[in-house]
Amino acid sequence: MRNSWLIALRELKERMGSRSFVLMSFFGPIIILCLIYFLFAFGGEGKQHWNVLITDPSHLLDNKIMAQEDKSITYSFADQYIEMEEFRDAKKFQQYDALFEVNEKVLSNKTAFVFYRVKPSVRMQTRLQFHIERRIEEVMIDQFTDLSVKEFRKIKQPLNVAFRDVFDPLDEASDLRGWVGFFYGAIIFVFIFLFGMTILRSVSREKSNRIVEVLLASVHPNQLLTGKIVGIGIAAFFQFIIWMVVVGAGLYFMRELIFPDMLDASNMDIVQMTDEVKNQTRLDQLYAASEYNEFVNLVYERVQFGTMTAFFLVFFIVGYLFYGSFFAAVGATSGSESDGQQFVLPIIFLLCFSLYAGYFALQNPESSLTTFFHYLPFTSPVVVMVKLAQGYAPEESMQIYVALMILLVSAALNLMLAGRLYKNGILQFGHRVKFSLILRWLKKT
Amino acid sequence: MLEIQNISKSFYRKVALDDVSLHIQTGEIFGLLGPNGAGKTTLIRIINRIIEPDKGHIRINGDIMTQQHLSMIGYLPEERGLYRTMTVEDHALFLGQLRGLTKKDVKTQLNYWLEKFEITDWRKKRIEELSKGMAQKVQFICTVLHEPKLLILDEPLSGFDPVNVELIKQELIEMKAKGKTIILSTHNMKSVEEICDRAALIHQSKKIMEGRISEIQEERKTGNYAVKFRGSMIAFVNALWTGFELVDKEVLGDDKFIAHVKMRGDNNFEDLLRTLLGQVKIEAAWEVLPSMQDVFIDLVQPRKEAENA
Repeated sequence: MRNSWLIALRELKERMGSRSFVLMSFFGPIIILCLIYFLFAFGGEGKQHWNVLITDPSHLLDNKIMAQEDKSITYSFADQYIEMEEFRDAKKFQQYDALFEVNEKVLSNKTAFVFYRVKPSVRMQTRLQFHIERRIEEVMIDQFTDLSVKEFRKIKQPLNVAFRDVFDPLDEASDLRGWVGFFYGAIIFVFIFLFGMTILRSVSREKSNRIVEVLLASVHPNQLLTGKIVGIGIAAFFQFIIWMVVVGAGLYFMRELIFPDMLDASNMDIVQMTDEVKNQTRLDQLYAASEYNEFVNLVYERVQFGTMTAFFLVFFIVGYLFYGSFFAAVGATSGSESDGQQFVLPIIFLLCFSLYAGYFALQNPESSLTTFFHYLPFTSPVVVMVKLAQGYAPEESMQIYVALMILLVSAALNLMLAGRLYKNGILQFGHRVKFSLILRWLKKT
Repeated sequence: MLEIQNISKSFYRKVALDDVSLHIQTGEIFGLLGPNGAGKTTLIRIINRIIEPDKGHIRINGDIMTQQHLSMIGYLPEERGLYRTMTVEDHALFLGQLRGLTKKDVKTQLNYWLEKFEITDWRKKRIEELSKGMAQKVQFICTVLHEPKLLILDEPLSGFDPVNVELIKQELIEMKAKGKTIILSTHNMKSVEEICDRAALIHQSKKIMEGRISEIQEERKTGNYAVKFRGSMIAFVNALWTGFELVDKEVLGDDKFIAHVKMRGDNNFEDLLRTLLGQVKIEAAWEVLPSMQDVFIDLVQPRKEAENA
């Protein structure tokens, strides 16, 4: 145990002192933050500019919409009724992306319809709604009150309305949440691949520079293997913690500093919104922001980072042990370092396959194949993450522990077999790796 | 100290060791000799418990050897490596601790050896900054840091310049004087003659010879004598006449030679001296013993020739 720990500490020290570790610790989370920033900034956007035709036969809006135009939407007015089919098919209406129907009943029933050709992004929907609401508000103030628009807006209280699906109040069926799980799973596999390759290189290097013989004169091969996997694993864990801290801090600062500004109405060229939004509290701004970008809403409101991260860490550790033993076994059985890199290809295929399984689970959460992938140790770390993000029903929560147990037992079995290959192969140099040879080493205790 | 009893080891169809037994006594330097591929490294790995024998066992101080006994052993393999990016001190700390020393003990021992070899300024140097010879020295230090009772050195002198070869030899002699047991596997027969007390020769997986160096040489002597003299070589040869045979000669100067002479018939060393007296000026004369190199070649070559035939 002491020897394994000494070996683990040496590996850890070497990894953490290496330039690649420092660079990855810094650039990895920066890249992720940049991706998140771009999702926040540009995510949820569909077509950038919309031509909207407002049909207003009762001249309620008086062919006016905003004091200043929003550059992303061009409004045109029609003073006759236009049927949906006519709008859809008539050549003269093809230039318009949407038809906004404002009829004479709008003041009483507060309902207006928008017919679109391509579904507008959430941001575009909110803008359209906001523009028309503001114009109708002006009309209503004029017709039903003695107040000026300015006075009315001073006393008006904003109401935040949260839309919820009665069948899925937590929006668990959303693809987006699943994608967060997939992202977690992908991170597991990126780390497993990066640090698995480190195990492989470390084993091959010790083998090729022959120091392994000095080590084996003091420690048992299994102690050496365990120490190596644990040491590199701790380095991976440290790096992950660094990533979490940097990404977490980045998200916090984005929300506090960049993000409210980015979603400030003035930055969106919706001049009319500026004063109102600016006068809101930060929380209100956040609510407003979440209406504008579903990714923002997703990251700050809907992902259960605590639970996800806890299970992520468990599956990360066990998944790493499971795959790490493969890498160590390949390193020990290969005749040379280049051989090892060649024989790592099947493991890379397995890793890619597990990512595909995660994607499959995302698209087909109820499929029986997804259930199979959920328990299969090769794929469970990523599939469980996807399922976890999508949400387990209370009666299904045991599934996650069953998958974990299967992975744990498989990892233990794998480590044992890898130990055998390691013991029998580590002092073999320059040989050709044959399947029969590997079988012989596996049989030999 | 170490008893190797009937060790056999095969790697699938290839026999690496066939019923090899050796007895190594406490406080001796034991030469483990043999041509390449004879099975020496396999035997050393078995002693170090790196691989397990198919048959036989090893006793250390009378007990069957276990993993715990490894801390009594210092092993320097032939193909040795170091972690290139680690410093000398970190290396010593890592390997010293693996062999059971505390950090403090490692530092004390490291100081002792660095000062002894006058290389204290290497402490913080990374291995990749050292030359091959320097790295060899570091490897030697790491092997002896934990003051092992049994040292197993596989080609410890290769890669060293003559000055350092002498330095290491002196260290080994000093360790022997302190009661350490040393197994020296080498192809450098001169070193074997100089520092080994006993030796064994392994060839084609079998032990074919074991004994004290002087006894091995005595057993295989050819009855030749060497005479160092001043004078004429022609006069020397004429004096030998039919009773002796000149087998070799070495010219040391214009009129100075060493001649190797073989006896004929019943003639002995005294007869030779009597014959030569007055013919040349004898400076020295001695019985020629075969070098370990000759013994090695004599024992290995005929088998190889027979094999080839």
